[in-house]
Amino acid sequence: MEALHPRIRLFWIAKGAIGAIVLGVGLAAADRWITDVPLAAIAAVVAVGFGLGIAYAVRLYRVWQYEIQPDALYLERGVVTFVETSVPFVRVQHVDTQFGPIERALGLSSVVVYTAGSRNADVRIPGLTPDRARDLQDTLRKLAVESEADDGV
Amino acid sequence: MNRLHPFTAISEALGRAASGLMLPLAAVTVLSESVDAVETSWLLVLAPLGVLSGLAYGVAHYYRFGYELTDETFDVTSGVFSRQAREIPYRRIQNVDVRQGMVQRLLGLAVVELETAGGGDTEATLEYVSKAEADRIQREVRRLTAEVDADGDRSAPSPEAEPTADADASTAADASTAADAPTDAADSGRSRPARTLLFELELRELVLYAATALRPGTAILPVFLLAFVSDEGGLLPGFVLELSAALLIGSIVVPWALATALLSAAMTVTQYYGFRLGREGNDFVYERGLVERHSGSIPVEKVQSVTITDNPLQRLLGYAGLWVETAGYGPGDSSASESTVPFAAESRVYGFAERITGLERPQFTSLPTLARRRYLARYAILAAVLVAAAYGVAQVSGLERWYLAAVAFAAAPPAAHLKWTNMGYAVCEDHLVVRRGFWKRRTTVIPYYRIQTLTTRRSLFQRRLGLASVVVDTASSATFSWSAPTIENVALEDARAVHDTGRDRLQTALHERDRDDERSGAFADRQ
Repeated sequence: MEALHPRIRLFWIAKGAIGAIVLGVGLAAADRWITDVPLAAIAAVVAVGFGLGIAYAVRLYRVWQYEIQPDALYLERGVVTFVETSVPFVRVQHVDTQFGPIERALGLSSVVVYTAGSRNADVRIPGLTPDRARDLQDTLRKLAVESEADDGV
Repeated sequence: MNRLHPFTAISEALGRAASGLMLPLAAVTVLSESVDAVETSWLLVLAPLGVLSGLAYGVAHYYRFGYELTDETFDVTSGVFSRQAREIPYRRIQNVDVRQGMVQRLLGLAVVELETAGGGDTEATLEYVSKAEADRIQREVRRLTAEVDADGDRSAPSPEAEPTADADASTAADASTAADAPTDAADSGRSRPARTLLFELELRELVLYAATALRPGTAILPVFLLAFVSDEGGLLPGFVLELSAALLIGSIVVPWALATALLSAAMTVTQYYGFRLGREGNDFVYERGLVERHSGSIPVEKVQSVTITDNPLQRLLGYAGLWVETAGYGPGDSSASESTVPFAAESRVYGFAERITGLERPQFTSLPTLARRRYLARYAILAAVLVAAAYGVAQVSGLERWYLAAVAFAAAPPAAHLKWTNMGYAVCEDHLVVRRGFWKRRTTVIPYYRIQTLTTRRSLFQRRLGLASVVVDTASSATFSWSAPTIENVALEDARAVHDTGRDRLQTALHERDRDDERSGAFADRQ
């Protein structure tokens, strides 16, 4: 099993921090227009939000794993709900590499695997170095093409 | 290139003319209020201009619309100013549907819709063609699709290659009409394959179906009707309001329930009147409808999964319905799956399921009792929320005896038990069968070779109890409205076993299947 790049934790922490800040701004707005919210409470909520975000990021990094198995891409992830997904290569429709602004700043990118499935259709592997992402994309594409003769919906 | 029926030009031109009239009318009326320069007298020029250009556009639209059946693709060109040319490879076509509204039936016209996998929209709509032409297109597309499918590296379809091919044989054998020749796509060649009638919804069945198919959606309409009636005052005598609460409830709930049931029944009858299912070569063909007549074809090879539905009433009577799901969108059916047999005796339904998928009647594994405990806890929480809500309402509205809401707790254990007993799964030779739901119970049969992804998930609570859920994803578009088939709350090792079995059998099935069958997989084509 392969782990993600350690820097992905920063990405998740950043996401958590954004969430905490949004919550803080929301509470501040409530304080301003709706009802009195003590500043200490806002600070506490934001601090707890940060803390939870960090703990979540650390934990998520520890559980996130993926592997290219003989017939399928296999992933394990999830803190609250632990999820194990197998994506058979024959089912791979196309593979993208993507990165958002934060990811780009951290020098990371994601690989997104699409299947014809209607739910849980898009499988995303975040926290890959651009090289690793391209590599994985190539590998998956090759494996998908190899097994394509067998494909059918 | 073929043109649509000339009537299209008339209806199109009239429609466009109407909007050509409305647009300047609305614009000038609004603008003349606020902008001084605009005067209502402009309408004398603008309105006829709008109508004329609308008419012209409609006619031009008709003349610029063409369709053609080539050897490999169905071509549609359209567009007056910006032109669009679309070629749909036959092997990507999931189903061909013909729709006839009431007016269209009178005029002998029909709408043809071609569905392919993947898109949210119908890939091509021909509105309108004559009924005869619609039938011809439907037939031709099916024939050409079958030809494209058969043109691969195999000369004739081998029955053992695929369960659906088996079903073909058994269908022919089972059909009482001996006159119908066995219908293999390869045999049929240029000639039209014979149609075998598989199922006809009898009047008695239709009535039973109408009586038992309760549509939750129809429960809302009577509320509006009632609100309307009681608002008018005159229709509902004043003293009714002064009667006891019980009578009041009776006077509202009973008519409401009756109206709901009647509406629901009426909708079912109009939708499924004259339902008929047949088989032509490698397609299922069906027709149905009282006012609006639908007919469509479902290629056997495009079937993703089959779902058998029943509600407690239907179970009591021993009836069930069968739905076939393809990757394309179903016509007029928001559920996006085709009702293949809307309502029939349960044994017959399982018979059909067997013919379509080769399924033998499965032995269900029930869920561990721990699962029941989870549902009990879940429903108890729900009851607690209800009591809390009642308490909340009591605080503001002076509602007394809010604690009576606690009867909800009494309902929790039986509800949990019913949910639990109606759930189950079966790991068969070629299929995974998932059963869930109490009120609308759905038994979904998924051939292993249709599995797209497999997911085992465990929430915090499930992990504590050592349980897991397996989500089996297919390309069936029914999962957009119905949740993806999920085996919920099984022991972790069983979940893992199902997950691995599904994966392994998918590979085996793919190896066993004839390569050529795969080529027919429309969705596999890069989109």
